[in-house]
Amino acid sequence: MKNYKNIFIMSSAILLTGTIAGTAWAFQEAPMLAEKVRAGELPPVEERLPENPTVVNALEVGQYGGTWSRAFKGPGDRWGPTKLMEERVIKWSQEPGGELKLVPGYIESYSVSEDSREFTFTLLKGLKWSDGHPVTTEDVEFWYNDVFMNRDLLASVDQTLAPGGKPMKLEVIDEQTFKVSFEDPYVYFLEILAKDSTGEPSLDRPSFIFPKHYLKQFNNKYASEAELKAAAEKFGVEKWQDLWGSKGAATAWWQNPELPVITAWKIEQPAPADVVTMVRNPYYYAVDQAGNQLPYIDRISHRLFSEQEAFNLMIVQGQIDMQMRYVEPQDFTFYKENEAKGEYQVNRWTQAQTWSLVPNLNTKDDVLRSLYETPDFRQALSIAIDREIVNDLVFSGLAEARQASPVTGSPNFDPDLETHWAEYDPDRANELLDGIGLTERDGDGYRLRPDGKRLSIVVEMQHANGPKTMEIIADNFKSIGVELLPRLIDRTQWDASRDNNEFQMQWFPFDRLSVVAADPRIMMGSDSYANQYYIWYSTKGASGIEPPADHPIREVFAKWDVAAKAATREEADAALTELINTFVTEGWVIGVVGEMPALSIVKNNVKNFREGLIEDDITRGVGLAKTQQMWIQQ
Amino acid sequence: MLGYIVRRLLWAIPTLAFVSFISFVIIQLPPGDFVTAYVAQLRSGGEYITELQESILREQYGLNDPLLVQYWRWISNIIFYGDFGRSLEWNAPVSDLIWERLGLTLILSSLSLVFTWMIAIPVGVYSATRQYSVFDYVFTVFGFLGKGIPDFLLALILMWTAFAWLNMDVGGLYSPRFEGQPWDFDKIVNMLSHIWIPLVVLATGGAAGLIRVMRANMLDELRKPYVETAYAQGFSERTVVWRYPVRVALNPFISTVGWALPALFSGDVITAVVLNLPTTGPLLLQALKMQDMYLAGSFILILSVFTVIGTVLSDILLALSDPRIRFS
Repeated sequence: MKNYKNIFIMSSAILLTGTIAGTAWAFQEAPMLAEKVRAGELPPVEERLPENPTVVNALEVGQYGGTWSRAFKGPGDRWGPTKLMEERVIKWSQEPGGELKLVPGYIESYSVSEDSREFTFTLLKGLKWSDGHPVTTEDVEFWYNDVFMNRDLLASVDQTLAPGGKPMKLEVIDEQTFKVSFEDPYVYFLEILAKDSTGEPSLDRPSFIFPKHYLKQFNNKYASEAELKAAAEKFGVEKWQDLWGSKGAATAWWQNPELPVITAWKIEQPAPADVVTMVRNPYYYAVDQAGNQLPYIDRISHRLFSEQEAFNLMIVQGQIDMQMRYVEPQDFTFYKENEAKGEYQVNRWTQAQTWSLVPNLNTKDDVLRSLYETPDFRQALSIAIDREIVNDLVFSGLAEARQASPVTGSPNFDPDLETHWAEYDPDRANELLDGIGLTERDGDGYRLRPDGKRLSIVVEMQHANGPKTMEIIADNFKSIGVELLPRLIDRTQWDASRDNNEFQMQWFPFDRLSVVAADPRIMMGSDSYANQYYIWYSTKGASGIEPPADHPIREVFAKWDVAAKAATREEADAALTELINTFVTEGWVIGVVGEMPALSIVKNNVKNFREGLIEDDITRGVGLAKTQQMWIQQ
Repeated sequence: MLGYIVRRLLWAIPTLAFVSFISFVIIQLPPGDFVTAYVAQLRSGGEYITELQESILREQYGLNDPLLVQYWRWISNIIFYGDFGRSLEWNAPVSDLIWERLGLTLILSSLSLVFTWMIAIPVGVYSATRQYSVFDYVFTVFGFLGKGIPDFLLALILMWTAFAWLNMDVGGLYSPRFEGQPWDFDKIVNMLSHIWIPLVVLATGGAAGLIRVMRANMLDELRKPYVETAYAQGFSERTVVWRYPVRVALNPFISTVGWALPALFSGDVITAVVLNLPTTGPLLLQALKMQDMYLAGSFILILSVFTVIGTVLSDILLALSDPRIRFS
């Protein structure tokens, strides 16, 4: 083991160019792989790595070995494991305290045409799947022709990859290089790739590449009907199409250990085993600055739990090596108290979400809807909330009183938006409500609506921090004569209420506030304050509710149309900024507290954990920490 | 008696069919379906599923078919192939998921049943024969406390105590390093060092009620003439009490043996969830929450089978223990 660790020899050339010339350098590998090489089960490391492997700068050159223990909640929770190892052509990267930027993933280079219509990618030369088979543009063609455009497999293409209903086109240039193009300019395509990728219909999306040599046996363009049937039978599914897709038996990496991948780890023992384990991919394409093939850690194991308290006990007993998912701010004190006993530290990132009251602009209650549509009413509700108290009492003072707007570190951050209508001023709120004619009150001091009923709003919630927060806000609202009626409901019901347009207001972690361009849907009302309007917009009027002609949300939609088709980055960014400004200044969503810490537990012997980054779905959660360079001191 | 048992078992078949159908319907009653729940779960994890993907999933799982078709697909496979179907959430055969957990559940339930009886019977007998004595009151107070404290709370308190003061490894049925390992001596020892918490929790809850039942029954019996006769014959108190009244007073215990299993399956789910036990309870709860109907339905079906078998068993035991009972 000692031979492999702490190799501090570093060349300045490496740091400058970010690549290592394969011939000039001896690469090192994990002992468990070296053993296999000696036994003749694997080719030597030089032959497994690409010619110019990607260099992931480790915070500190580490040691090989160890098992990373984590906990998970069952198969529905696979995004925890997935985000540890997602690979993309383009990925987000962030230095502590810095802004997010895009960096190439498993490609050598990429370029974008001047009109933002054509995107060219060059795969790493010598890149290999986890079974040793080379990755070439053949795999790209397979993905495009036989999966993405295969209507037997995929009924239609997702909007994001087919703006205006016209799917992207593919052109293969040589074995390594391919070009995708769109009819109209699409400046945010790279942001979308970094977040959502393209691997439809599978939800685990390495973008553009599917292992043809393995998957063609399950594809109707290559396999006969009988073969497909046999394959379906082998995996215990009904139709060959079920082998594919988001939970496809064959294409889901966390279910099928045979599926070739390019990720740092691959599944070894899938669910429903008691402990789900992942093991290193011997062909992983990246090395650290000293030429050690990554990842450092041999295995990742996930233990099942179903109750938060059970997980918290695992943490304080030192059974969790490093985990961010399910580490809850409301248990912060408990974690801190047991740091020494459990031999770990609590670390903090920033969450790109703001806990918000989301009124339903499409609510079926006409009177309430017209109140929601009155800016003074929205402002009154917003400034009647004492956010500092909520922060202190519910979020252990770890969060920040703010509006639902882009967070610090986001390229869209704007300090003015952050504080818009976020200062506590109940007197002013009362004045505003008086000003819009809500002056009548009933015996309990609550205001009456224009139709004579008491002005009360039912707020639905399903998160643990809801009841405590609502107690405070209901008190705040009482002082302005508005009755808030909190309802704690089941998650399914909570979503159904929104799908069926049945709610008046919901308590919601309003997220995707890091890189808005990568996913502006929530800000445009989708699954949020104006779901029906968004459906109207996204279905081009086929369903949903049409917003009134002068409704400002039309401006939000219009700005996205401009941004999505803008010819230049500047033009697109300008439109996007206006979209965000309109959303925040209209105050449709009432942000309460945000930028709270995404806590993580890091055992003292787990090294190279990056601190102070942004936690968001867009940046792929903990994936932003470059998990392949983390290591465990033996 | 054999004929009686056969008749009972035959009657069980339509009962089970009925139960399985009703449970299948009930699982589907809440708004939405598995895909709704699944998508909600993904959303809470920060993932976005388009409506198109949702509809593909729904199609893939056959959720667009009428309820009867879905039910028939499931039940016919069970009847003809012994195949319980696939869990939608786990994307694995139901049988793979259930059996190991079922084994552990059985171990836990039988141990806790024995433990409960070991507490309840002697205490009940003592309380009855020494009615209104100091210890009768003490046991009564503890019994009511045991009944009154919710199981999950007791579980949390015990876990916390064991962790904070005894420095024990708590949660689950064995230490992490044994998870997923084959059973060997070390693993069994390790399990025994973990299993006492659930045993204590489950037994205290169950024992309290049984103590009262035992005490009341014993008091009834002790006043009967045959007891006095026995004393008059010069038998010692121990012989009198344990040979006759206890046997009669055990009646309700035996007739409820059959319920012990389903109770552990369902009644103590919360305890199992809190303790992170690899038993069937948490899996069933999750399956119901996710509307994973084949998994949940299979659970309930197996549960019903156990109830039926358990009831037959307790009938037989009852007949053996109490000669006054006759099959008719």
